[in-house]
Amino acid sequence: MSEVEVRDLTKTFGRVTAVREMSFTAPAGKVTGFLGPNGSGKTTTLRVVLGLVRADAGQALIGGIPYHRLARPRRSVGALLESTSFHPGRKARDHLRVLADAAGIPSQRVDEVLGQVDLAAAASRRVREFSLGMRQRLGLAAALLGDPQVLLLDEPANGLDPAGIAWLRGMLRGLADEGRTVVVASHVLSEIALTADHVAIVSAGQVRFAGPLSEIGATNTALESAFLMLTDFTAKGGTRVAHDPQ
Amino acid sequence: MLRMIRSEFLKLRTIRGPWLLLAAGPVLVVAGVTGLVQSGGNLHDPAVQSKALSHVALAALFTLIFGILAVAGEYRHGTVTDTFLSFPDRGRVVAAKLAVYGLVGAVAGLVSAAVALAVTAAWWAAKGGSFHLSAAGSWRTLIGGVAVNVAFAAIGVGVGALVRNLAAAVAAALAWIALVEGITGQLLGAGLSRWLPFYASEALGRADMTGTAKLLPQGGAGLVLAGYAALFAIAAVVTTLRRDVT
Repeated sequence: MSEVEVRDLTKTFGRVTAVREMSFTAPAGKVTGFLGPNGSGKTTTLRVVLGLVRADAGQALIGGIPYHRLARPRRSVGALLESTSFHPGRKARDHLRVLADAAGIPSQRVDEVLGQVDLAAAASRRVREFSLGMRQRLGLAAALLGDPQVLLLDEPANGLDPAGIAWLRGMLRGLADEGRTVVVASHVLSEIALTADHVAIVSAGQVRFAGPLSEIGATNTALESAFLMLTDFTAKGGTRVAHDPQ
Repeated sequence: MLRMIRSEFLKLRTIRGPWLLLAAGPVLVVAGVTGLVQSGGNLHDPAVQSKALSHVALAALFTLIFGILAVAGEYRHGTVTDTFLSFPDRGRVVAAKLAVYGLVGAVAGLVSAAVALAVTAAWWAAKGGSFHLSAAGSWRTLIGGVAVNVAFAAIGVGVGALVRNLAAAVAAALAWIALVEGITGQLLGAGLSRWLPFYASEALGRADMTGTAKLLPQGGAGLVLAGYAALFAIAAVVTTLRRDVT
């Protein structure tokens, strides 16, 4: 299986504890919403899962294996971390060619994903000419390139127009229905309420709730009030909430 | 490893900036040789001929910055994240960069050497000087100059990995060459200062800029500079393995 499992993860930067004993599992075949306020440790957690940041304690596993031990990481895991990670002078197709070549992915796959994210017409333009939404689409194309079983996406709807957001929602649903593991980190609750099956809600680096969205209530208002209640606890001193993450 | 090397070449081929930087080397050589002739150098003196050819070593300033760009440029644009997602073995990524950028540094040095030969021969012919390729140390000057280009590219990769901020890394390297090494040399005295990297590069490329410093013999200077390149390479690998990519 290709579930993503975070187990007792702790990471400090200097005197700031970004992630504290975090545990949750994102199951295969589901869209898992990874929710939390700004600075709650979502991005750090994703970076630990991807082997970019080393945890002080705990483990992050993909199908039971740490990222750096995966035989073909790009074909197992697709990641979208931020929309600014492009060389501005490189053409969109070349950006994907570099990634495909590194992973031994055939180059016709580059044009496939460019078509999938509706960037075929802009493939020969340099990224510096791209709008935020176009960069986001290029980042999504990169994540899809290796046809991975696991997708880790940090604010994937960022900069997309309404049509793009609807397209993204349909695509993520489809990928999960094919049995893939989809993790979407976000603080846009309305989008998560429409897309996610599971949620992990974090605040100040700790999991406040992890489980099926249905336990909270799948409506936007229910999710929002649960989110505000759960994340507000931290601000008032970090009392543990009734829901146990396990 | 071969795939990493190929990937570094593909990344280089798909952007323009580094090539413009490398093109500046031969331009500097042309301007430098011309300036030497115009300022009234004795074209019958073999030492002046060697001085003209020694501009090849000065062009290494650009391979140094080229090497810095290889690593710090990736941090600047965030593309390092993609590089490490494709190749989680970071030590080998740095090794591949050293190989590729050292090789391109060699090619840049050879181009500068060819340009230096052509321009010097042309000026000497035009002004009725006596140009002899066999004259004292012409070949040694050219070969040493190419070697400086290679060593500086490798040192640049090391500097870029240590000081990941692109502007800071370039500023530090230029400040060292223009200011810090000279002052350090004065503090150390001539006996020790000749072991410093830029003095060693002057000895290796037979480009005595200061005229006063007592330089190492060319062969010894080559070994010293190779030692600096190796030290920077080791430091680059060690720090790249340890640091988080955020």
